[in-house]
Amino acid sequence: MVIEDNPMVVKSLEFKLSKDGYDVVVAEDGRTAMKLLSESAFDLILTDLMLPFVSGNEIIEFIKSECPDVPIIVLSTSTQEDIITEAFTMGVDDFITKPFSPNELSLRVKRSLAKV
Amino acid sequence: MEFNSFEGAEHWPFILKINLVLSLFFLVLTLAFVALVIYLRIRKNRMEAYRTRFDRKLIEFFNHFLFDEDFKRAAELGDFKFRYLKTAYDHKLAIKQVLIFDENLKGESSEAIKELFNGLGLYKYLLSDLKAKAWYRQARALYALSKLGIKVPEALVTPFLHSNRVELRQQAMLYFLNTSQENPLAFLDDLDRELSLWQQVFIENSLINFDLEVPDFGRWLNHDKSSVVVFCIKMVVSFNQFQNIPLLIEALDHTDEGVRAQAINSLKIMEVTDALQLMTANFPYESPSNKRAILYAIEKIGTAKDLRTLVSAIGREEENLQIDYYKIATRFENEIPVRKLINPDNITNDWADYQYYSKRVLQGA
Repeated sequence: MVIEDNPMVVKSLEFKLSKDGYDVVVAEDGRTAMKLLSESAFDLILTDLMLPFVSGNEIIEFIKSECPDVPIIVLSTSTQEDIITEAFTMGVDDFITKPFSPNELSLRVKRSLAKV
Repeated sequence: MEFNSFEGAEHWPFILKINLVLSLFFLVLTLAFVALVIYLRIRKNRMEAYRTRFDRKLIEFFNHFLFDEDFKRAAELGDFKFRYLKTAYDHKLAIKQVLIFDENLKGESSEAIKELFNGLGLYKYLLSDLKAKAWYRQARALYALSKLGIKVPEALVTPFLHSNRVELRQQAMLYFLNTSQENPLAFLDDLDRELSLWQQVFIENSLINFDLEVPDFGRWLNHDKSSVVVFCIKMVVSFNQFQNIPLLIEALDHTDEGVRAQAINSLKIMEVTDALQLMTANFPYESPSNKRAILYAIEKIGTAKDLRTLVSAIGREEENLQIDYYKIATRFENEIPVRKLINPDNITNDWADYQYYSKRVLQGA
C-alpha cells in the first residue's frame, strides 16, 4: 500500500512497483489509508509523513496497532535527524528521503518483504 | 402619459428618450459583463480540465520513459512531441512536470529526465523564452534551467544580471549558482548593481545548502559595489578564510562607511589584534556608529591602553559614545577607574575632567 498525496510520486510508485510485479493500492490521504487498513490486509506499507487530514506519525501508530507485523517504509522530504530517529523509534523498518532513486526504493521494498 | 406602444416615439419628451437610451445601454452593458464572466469561467474550467488530462498524459508518458524497459524511447519521444506538444501552454505544462519529476527523483532517473527534457524539445523552447521580450517568460526560463542544472551559453544569461527587474537579476544569480560547479560566484565579477540583503542571504544559504564550491572571497574585496564587498567580508568570516585578513585590514580605509563597519566587526570576530592600530588611528575620523563598533572591538580584543587612547577623540557632545566608553571601561576595571568619575547627571562635564585625567595617565604623569 502506498500512502502519498503527491500525484506524480503516487503514479511513479504505482508504475514502478507494478512493473516489479506487486499489486499496489494507493491512499492519497491519511483518512483513506486508515479506512483501507481497517478493511484489508497488506504486505508492506510505503508512506509519506506529510499527509492531508492525518499526520504520518498518527498513521504509523495506527498501523502498529492494527497490523504490527507489516513492514513500514517512510518516504519523506525530511532529512532532520530527530524526525528520522522518531520514525525509527515508532517502529518503521526503513526511511527513504526524497528525492529518491526508484531503483533503490525497489530494492528496499524487496528487502523489507524478504524479512517478513 | 400611458405607454401603449413605441408608435409615435418621436413625439416623446426628450427626457424620456434619454432615459430609455440609457436604460438600454446599461442593460446591454450588464448582459455583456455577465456573458464575459460566464465565458471566462467556462474557459478557465476547460483549461483546468485540459491541464488535468494533459498532466495525466505527461505523467504516464514520463513513467514509461523512465521505468519501462521495453519502451522505445527515441521513437516514442518524437511521436509524443509531434502529437501533443503543440502550443506554448503544452510546453509550459511539460516543463512543469519535468521539474516535479526532477525534484522528486534522483540517480539514473534524474539523468533520464534530462534526456526526456532535451528529447521533447523543451531546451529549445526555453532558449526561445530566454530571447523573448516578456520578462516573466525570461524569468521562468531561467528558473527552469537553474532548477534542472542545464547550461546554456553564458552570453544569454549574463545580461540578466544587469536587468532593471529584480526578479530577473535574482533568477540569473540562481542560474549561475546552480550551474557553475567550479566557481559558482563568478557572476559577482559582472555585477553592476548592489546586492540586496536578501540576495546576500540567498547566496550564503545556497553555498551552504547546495554544498557548492566555496571560492576565495578575497577576489571581490576590491569590487566596485560596496554591498558585494560587505557580503564578501562576511563570507571571509563565515568560511574562516584567514588568508584574507590583510585585505580586511585594508578595508578599514575603504571609502564606504558600511564596508568599514563590516570590516571592524569581522576583524573583531576573527580576533585580529593587528588591526587595532589602524582602528584606533581612524577612530577620530569615523562615523558615530563606527566609533562605537571600534570601542566594542577594543573591548573584545584590545587593552586598557588602546581604549584610553580614544578618550581625546570622543567629543563632549557625544554622550552616547561616552556611555559606551564607560561601559567598556568597566571591563578594564583595575586599569581604568571609571566608576569614581561617572556622575550620570553631569556626564558631559565629567567627560571633560576624564579626558584631562586620561591624557595625564597616558603621558605617564
